Amino acid sequence: MNELIPLMVIVPLMAALLISAFSRFNTVTKIFAFVVAICLPIIPIASNYGLHYFGGYEPMLDNVTNVMFHPAITYSFTFLQQIFIAMVGLLTFLVIFIYLTKYKEVSGPYLFLLFLGTAAVTAMLLTDDIFHMFVFFEILALAQVGIVAASSISYSNEMALKYMILGSIGSPMMLLGIGFLLAMTGSVNITDIAAAVHNGLVDATSPVFLMSLALIFFGWLYASGLPPFHTIKSGIYSKAEPHGAALLQSFTVISMISIVLVMFRIYSTLPIFEVLIVFFSILAMILGVSLALTQTDFRRMIGFLAVGELGFIGLGIGLGTQYSITAGLFQALNEITITALLFIGFGAIVNATNEVDTRKLGGLLAYHPKVSIMLLIGGLAMAGVPPLSGFQSKLMLVQASLSCGYPEISILAIVVSIATFVVFVKTYYSMFLKPKPNDLDVEHKEVPRAMIFAMGILLIIVIAFGVYPDVVTNGISNFVGGIL
Amino acid sequence: MAQVQLIILITSVALVIIGLYSAIFIDNIIKKIIGISFIEEGANLFIVAIGYKAGGVVPILMPEMDTSWFASNAAYPLPFGLVLTSIVIGASTLAVMLALVMVLYKKYGTLSTKVMLADTSKQEEYNE
Repeated sequence: MNELIPLMVIVPLMAALLISAFSRFNTVTKIFAFVVAICLPIIPIASNYGLHYFGGYEPMLDNVTNVMFHPAITYSFTFLQQIFIAMVGLLTFLVIFIYLTKYKEVSGPYLFLLFLGTAAVTAMLLTDDIFHMFVFFEILALAQVGIVAASSISYSNEMALKYMILGSIGSPMMLLGIGFLLAMTGSVNITDIAAAVHNGLVDATSPVFLMSLALIFFGWLYASGLPPFHTIKSGIYSKAEPHGAALLQSFTVISMISIVLVMFRIYSTLPIFEVLIVFFSILAMILGVSLALTQTDFRRMIGFLAVGELGFIGLGIGLGTQYSITAGLFQALNEITITALLFIGFGAIVNATNEVDTRKLGGLLAYHPKVSIMLLIGGLAMAGVPPLSGFQSKLMLVQASLSCGYPEISILAIVVSIATFVVFVKTYYSMFLKPKPNDLDVEHKEVPRAMIFAMGILLIIVIAFGVYPDVVTNGISNFVGGIL
Repeated sequence: MAQVQLIILITSVALVIIGLYSAIFIDNIIKKIIGISFIEEGANLFIVAIGYKAGGVVPILMPEMDTSWFASNAAYPLPFGLVLTSIVIGASTLAVMLALVMVLYKKYGTLSTKVMLADTSKQEEYNE
């Protein structure tokens, strides 16, 4: 059933194009979008692990160098791709479900962007071709910009343009880095490049190789929203519709791990590579949580907390052991679900109150008890409170940094988790527990049932991963063992 | 390295540096976008230079050509294929950026980034 592997990209891509072309038929568009969205998490679950060679071009032997090479684009599908694609597929379904139930007249271009973004991150996860990854990285940036620009929040166009300008500097840098690798190895296939580096066909200490690392690393920082791009990343989350922000953060996490895993396969021989990742990750953790503390807009607060959580992912991968990388990837999976839960939950509050300033909110526990309880559990999961999923991944990260001989990093991780807890409790108190301000009108609007449904599904995943982490971590660990 | 290849590489570096300068330091958004295009074209030119082969032929195998002669004389076609894709992506990005600039120009009546993009984080109204 390996034919299903390219379908994971083709289905959302074709759906995006068809919806965009036939969006004037509103009911048909809604039904079609719903059906395709349901298929997105099912296809990766139904597919077998394996490789897909586009055009049927399997690896060939170079008669001159006697080395195997890949003449065409290859998709690799393992447990890691399966779990992440299924998760982003599920999230896309939930987001589209919320969108379809919220509006009577749906926007074809907006649905196009949601499907396009999903197709792009799926391709980034699957591909074994670094240029192919770059192409979808650019498509993803366009989709992200579109999702932000399409929102009804003021100044969203300005934020979209700002993000686009920064992206337009980051992307060519990445392209130049790929160009350097191409110049050194003559290939854009990641397996071939990694083989050339590890077999000594490429001088890993040459300035050209180091330059390629610097350029691709710069592109990765932009894609991940790690410093110095943390402000713009949290900015786009706050300017997108809440359900759009839930999907945007999953795009960020997946593009982050896709690129970093590629870099890991190519540059893991360079000690500076892991130092760079750990440095920027720690910076993201500290800046993310510090800036979240100062926010009064809860969407921006969640945006900064999400950036801080990205630091945990990078930390796990930067430490470079099988256990730490497994912990980092598990943290990535948890971040997708937890942050999506928080964005949708806070979106429900925006929907009900039309207010985003925590100083002007209060007493919402009595009006929206379901949302408040689910948000509380989500926030506790993000802070790493047992037995939720965030606790398991953060515990693994602390153990990994201790076993690597960096107790100071584990202490920092714990401190950042406590600070995250403080930020969340402070915001939660302001919104739900303190007395309701007299001028706050909360009685006129219900929270949409689709949002409650989406939060419920995500909450089940958060609790399930917390109680049974082995279901995921064993498979991820096997994958990591394969790339080390 | 052939002299032509060296000249192309130097040009591409110059394009990237000029582009970075204008993208970072120039206030006018259109000039900034032109600078960004310079960076993209610099990267494309660099990749084209990788595929250059002194005295080489266009990598299209004609029926009358000997395959071993073709293999040793044809330019490396992969970079050209990549650049073609990259140009298309660059054009799409440019179109989206200019579309956003048009919307913002109608709103602000200026092309100054200091005015357009200054207070995105200050204003947090929710207009639904």
